[in-house]
Amino acid sequence: MNTSVKQPSSRFRRLGVAVVLAAGALGLSSAVQAAAGKIPRLANGKPDFSGIWQTTSAADYDLEPHANRKDAPPFAGAVEGGTIPYLPKALEQKKKNFAARATDDPALKGYTLGVPRGIYYPEPFQIFQRKQDLTQVFQFGHSVRTIYTNETDHPKDPYDWWLGDSRGHWEGDTLVVDARFFNDKTWFDRAGNFHSDQLHVVERWTYLDPNTIEYKATVEDPQVFSRPWNVGVILYRHREKDFQLIEDYRFTLDYDEHYPPKPPAQ
Amino acid sequence: MTKHEQARLLSGLVVSALALAPLTGMAADEPKAKPVETAPAPQPQAQTPREPRIGGPGIEQERHFDKIAAGRWTGPKLPDGQPDVQGHWSNTIANHNNFTDPQGGIPNDPAPNRRAKGPREERAPSRVSDPGDGQVPFQPWAAEKVKEFQVGFHNPTQPEYIEPLARCAPGGVPKSLYWHGYEISQYPGYVVFQFNSGTRIIHLDGKPHLPENIKLWNGDSRGHWEGNTLVVDVTNHNGKALFGRSGEFISENGHIQERYTFSNDGARYVYEATLTDPTVYTRPFTVTIPARKWTAKDKPNGWHFEVEPANYVGKAPLKEPVLDRYERVCAENNGGFGLVAAEQGKK
Repeated sequence: MNTSVKQPSSRFRRLGVAVVLAAGALGLSSAVQAAAGKIPRLANGKPDFSGIWQTTSAADYDLEPHANRKDAPPFAGAVEGGTIPYLPKALEQKKKNFAARATDDPALKGYTLGVPRGIYYPEPFQIFQRKQDLTQVFQFGHSVRTIYTNETDHPKDPYDWWLGDSRGHWEGDTLVVDARFFNDKTWFDRAGNFHSDQLHVVERWTYLDPNTIEYKATVEDPQVFSRPWNVGVILYRHREKDFQLIEDYRFTLDYDEHYPPKPPAQ
Repeated sequence: MTKHEQARLLSGLVVSALALAPLTGMAADEPKAKPVETAPAPQPQAQTPREPRIGGPGIEQERHFDKIAAGRWTGPKLPDGQPDVQGHWSNTIANHNNFTDPQGGIPNDPAPNRRAKGPREERAPSRVSDPGDGQVPFQPWAAEKVKEFQVGFHNPTQPEYIEPLARCAPGGVPKSLYWHGYEISQYPGYVVFQFNSGTRIIHLDGKPHLPENIKLWNGDSRGHWEGNTLVVDVTNHNGKALFGRSGEFISENGHIQERYTFSNDGARYVYEATLTDPTVYTRPFTVTIPARKWTAKDKPNGWHFEVEPANYVGKAPLKEPVLDRYERVCAENNGGFGLVAAEQGKK
């Protein structure tokens, strides 16, 4: 998968052709036919999101529309409707977070980025997909998230997790993920947009073409927001030759000089 | 306390317990578990001085294990041709307390425990299988550093005496294989190990290694299958991950060649690695680590098999129970004793 989309097995190339022919017979648009015929698929016919992905969006700097600042490039925003509908008290907290963002952003400590921030943080992440689950390895923080697609539901007696608990199902070719049971330690971006441990995220993952995923998330948190809101980015497949994730573990950087033991100077 | 607060507290306790375990040595040499019989048992041993405690939440387990011959894979295969070895695994002889005497307790422990160890030959063999004396063939300067670490570890007055795991560092090679249990998943072009501390992606896709000057805790892995054996070449080590609380290490110039040989019933594998490093060792040496698979038939526990039954909602009857795995994130412990030593180190 280093330079292009994983080639489906010949069986599925044939199946793809059959799908296109059938779609043609039904009179679907040529764009839909093309997308349905070309996207990579698992043996069970579901879209296969395996690959290394990254956004080109500036969402991680500040999800909301903003002109250029010293700490952020200008950006029209990734939130549907522009702004995040904070409850009044939460808006005060957001303003405090924003003022202290140069020191208080949890990402600066190397903490796991959470959901959805890990998806649009400007470092690549890799998806490994099987029928029963979809595992995302994030280069930043070296963290791992599993989305179960095995007809299981959230645990009956959950903890609070950094990445929540994610259960996915398919609606056509869209992977719909229900993620909940988060802790309150992560932010949505570097601008201090935040949530409580009541966060609930519903994600929708859809191929636009074999190298492009449309990612949308509905964010709900009755402690912090007056209503659910939507955020969306586009993810692009890394197709550079020999591209791979490189471990980005930050907790130890301050101590790097102390390891490993060194031989005596000659 | 709300349910959420309880959950958070519990989750914190779980993570702290995992993270503190290497330092407090809790239960490390003293498995509290009652002996639990689990299947499948390894082949009968020629001579077993004491009953091994297999399968409990303790970490001591087996005192002997059999080699697995490299050869043909006759077990199930994945569609891309790889032997299917997916699932939950853990090593079968103690943890990272002591690299060369895995069940021998903590070297230079100022408060040695609890129970007489008995003769060396009643404990599991050294993880160093060659040379035959079971010792790492360190150059004298490196042996000195290892000893310094063992003494300094218990009252760490310098930052380098902090076990890197306490700073949430990936466990590195080979330690990740005898720390906690882990999951192996396979995909076309990849074998993925999810450890408690740092995931390893083994590339089977023929990419070249990363540029030499990029150094990583878990190194950079390229593998291929030879019958029942996964052969992996690991380069780009940063040399910072210790092999245990006993302080053994490899340097940035080191090279590790691994062979994971799986039994055809899918129940066990034996890991053999050759470590070469002219900066630290006088000769290449071999590390051997036995591992066994854990399945839904086993009872989950806090060391080897950190799972729970999934909340299944499908309509079809279950052929194989579905398991959930806990999140593997280390952050809570990025302070405490680590910072204590760092602050003292600055004085």
